[in-house]
Amino acid sequence: MALPSRPWFGENLFGLAVVAAGFLAIAYPLSAHRVTDFMIFCIFALSFDLLYGYMGRLSFGHLLYLGTGAYAAGLFIRYIDRDPFLACLVGILAAALLGLLLGLIIVRTTGACFALINLAFNSIGFFLVLSPLRGVTNGEDGISVRAAKAWFFNPANKIHMYFLVLACLLAVLYLLKKMTTSPGGILVRSIKENEERARFLGYNTYLFKWLTFTNAAALAGLAGALHALNYKYVNPNVMDANANVGVVFACLIGGAGKLYGALLGGLVYMIISNFLPIYIQRWEMFLGIILLIIVFRFDKGIWGYVETGWAYLKQRCGNREGLEETTEP
Amino acid sequence: MIYTILYGFTIGAILYFISVGLSLTFGTMRVINFAHTLTYTLGVYFLITTLAWFKGYFIVAALVSIMAVIPISYVIERFVIRRLYGESLDYTFIATFAITLIGVDLIKWIWGVSPYPLSEPVATQLTLGSFTFPIYRIIIFGIAILLFLGLELLFSRTVMGKIIIAALEDEEGVRCLGVKVSKYFALVFILGSLLAAMGGVLYAPISSVQPYMGLSVLLLAFAVVIVGGMGNLRGTFFSAFGLGMVMAITARYWSQGAEAMVFIVMAIVLIFKPIDA
Amino acid sequence: MLEVNNLNAAYGHARVLHDISFGLEAGQTAFIIGRNGAGKTTLLKTITGLLKPVSGSIRYEDQDISGFPPEELALRGIRFVAQEKKVFSQLTVKENIQIAAHAVGEPLDQAVAKVTGLYPKFETFLNAKAGSLSGGQRQILLVGRALVGSPKLLLIDEPTQGLAAIVIQDIGRILKRLKDQVSALIVEQNLSMVKSLADRLFIMKEGKITKEINDRAQMADTRGLEEYV
Repeated sequence: MALPSRPWFGENLFGLAVVAAGFLAIAYPLSAHRVTDFMIFCIFALSFDLLYGYMGRLSFGHLLYLGTGAYAAGLFIRYIDRDPFLACLVGILAAALLGLLLGLIIVRTTGACFALINLAFNSIGFFLVLSPLRGVTNGEDGISVRAAKAWFFNPANKIHMYFLVLACLLAVLYLLKKMTTSPGGILVRSIKENEERARFLGYNTYLFKWLTFTNAAALAGLAGALHALNYKYVNPNVMDANANVGVVFACLIGGAGKLYGALLGGLVYMIISNFLPIYIQRWEMFLGIILLIIVFRFDKGIWGYVETGWAYLKQRCGNREGLEETTEP
Repeated sequence: MIYTILYGFTIGAILYFISVGLSLTFGTMRVINFAHTLTYTLGVYFLITTLAWFKGYFIVAALVSIMAVIPISYVIERFVIRRLYGESLDYTFIATFAITLIGVDLIKWIWGVSPYPLSEPVATQLTLGSFTFPIYRIIIFGIAILLFLGLELLFSRTVMGKIIIAALEDEEGVRCLGVKVSKYFALVFILGSLLAAMGGVLYAPISSVQPYMGLSVLLLAFAVVIVGGMGNLRGTFFSAFGLGMVMAITARYWSQGAEAMVFIVMAIVLIFKPIDA
Repeated sequence: MLEVNNLNAAYGHARVLHDISFGLEAGQTAFIIGRNGAGKTTLLKTITGLLKPVSGSIRYEDQDISGFPPEELALRGIRFVAQEKKVFSQLTVKENIQIAAHAVGEPLDQAVAKVTGLYPKFETFLNAKAGSLSGGQRQILLVGRALVGSPKLLLIDEPTQGLAAIVIQDIGRILKRLKDQVSALIVEQNLSMVKSLADRLFIMKEGKITKEINDRAQMADTRGLEEYV
């Protein structure tokens, strides 16, 4: 496992600038509102990739935390205070708290067990907001979310929302980049590779897994809160366990474990699910076939291929300096 | 209360039919097949067509529908499942989910999206004392018992059954003796798919038929298999009926909570008895 | 009858076998010794088809068998007995043998007779679950199972590991009787076993065969061999 080189401050900013420029560019042809939607999903995909790509644990129930964030923010706005920023904070904290508590038990499991136990909690959550808590959440009908203006930010304004979400996305990217290249982050990656070895080296893997899980939940909660603000409406579908497929697909197609990969995958998935049905009627079948091809042929994801291509180009150009060929360990 | 128990047995029986295949596929090939309930759905839709062909003779139509699922499950096994031996969970999830996407879309294309109502093939009731029971539900339960006995015999008396039991424990050992284990696993897969189709066909007249019916049942089937133990057929039998009862009893007092209750049980089991997958 | 040339094998990116080359004649019993991690088990697993080699060739009876799956090789006469001493514990002793017999089409009584011939005590617990057998009995069952169908080459991985001294003697006796029936390639740590049975000896270290001893006198020098184990 190669250690990532410590990024120089400028490289991070450069990457973020590229991302910002990219999203600004597509906002013109596609409408800001739609791109806001995409970006929210990308934040969610990034939070999922923290678990999947970095920690190596596939969850079939991550939507629970997005939903929790959405409901927490929505209910906060509806019943307590209409400040959008506070609502976001509440959303993040609620999801983080849930992740903290559930994580205590969930993080002990692995593989299929991990996947399915998350699914179980997700389904239970869905059911809870649908039925028993109907008094508060209004069940199937959902609740409308009308946040108030705060300082210069007007949540009803689509452009303002766009920039808020863009800012959040960039912040999340920066945060994750810092987190995953910190010593703790590298440890989490080594847990993915070989947990036993990490434990034998004396690290408290449980603690780190738990922290990562909580972080992933918190970020999903942010996505949820933003979702509530953006749609001005929250209903149980925000926690629909079946929709977990989308985010798994996004991370796989983009390349699990590489930040920009999850971002790219999220974008690609959003574009596919939003535009494909317009042009191809049987788009689900098409998607299924594409998935099969990807799984059996391209397991590095789009970003993996971009990286490989980039490295190849760099080698071609750098050959003049007599780069030695690296041999397999 | 008696009706609740009968309902629980019926659900349990259907869950059993569906979960056997899932349990076996995981126990033998270590592949979690998310497309498993596709044959359940397909069986039902084939039934709709065959019922029209055979002018309502349910048994014939049912048998034909179940058999029709065989070539499809063979293709799935041969071209997808077999390649997923030993692969990580993510890939098996995506691949088998992709099959579901394709399959469900095909169903929507051929049969349309609107639900089909089906009537019960045996509408008679049995009266015992002051209770009237629909015979159909009792028949379903009876078939489940027969299946259980049949499987017990299969695994204890036939060589094929013994090979499967051996392979569940030590696949490499069986292969090193010269047995083409992959052939037997394929058979097991097809058998499991057949049983799922049977479950669908039997349940269709008393439930609603729509293209996504497989997905809702899939999660329940997973719960059954986890609670009963992957690859443990006897466990699957008891957990299917146990969870069926849980659903029936929960539904009586809290109509929408039945499924959630099953997941709570599954979560509890996973907490105390996590699986190594 | 077995010829291995420049065999390379790896687990993922980790190379375990480096250019292994050796040959084995029919009727010979060769032992492989070496430290833990030297690649001995990997070598056996590669020959038997459980692991696909990265490069190199394995020739058995004049045919290239590299990459053939174990079930095919078993039918051609190569049998592998793994280190973990796993029997089919849910099945009875007789059923364990039945699976082997069914695979090669040998009549069950013949197969059972072969196994009880090796170890008469099995007669009394043919119908006992294999899981209830002791470690030594399991090992004998495994060897017996592998002999069903008259194989020509046995690959055995650490047969005496974890067994009591008296059981090791039993196993030694059985292996000695088999010497004229089959060729064998055996991984072992127990040097007295090596001394009494080996026609040839290969010493492995870090994925390579570092020494080949064909002289029985040299093999008798246990002290000298100990440094390799």
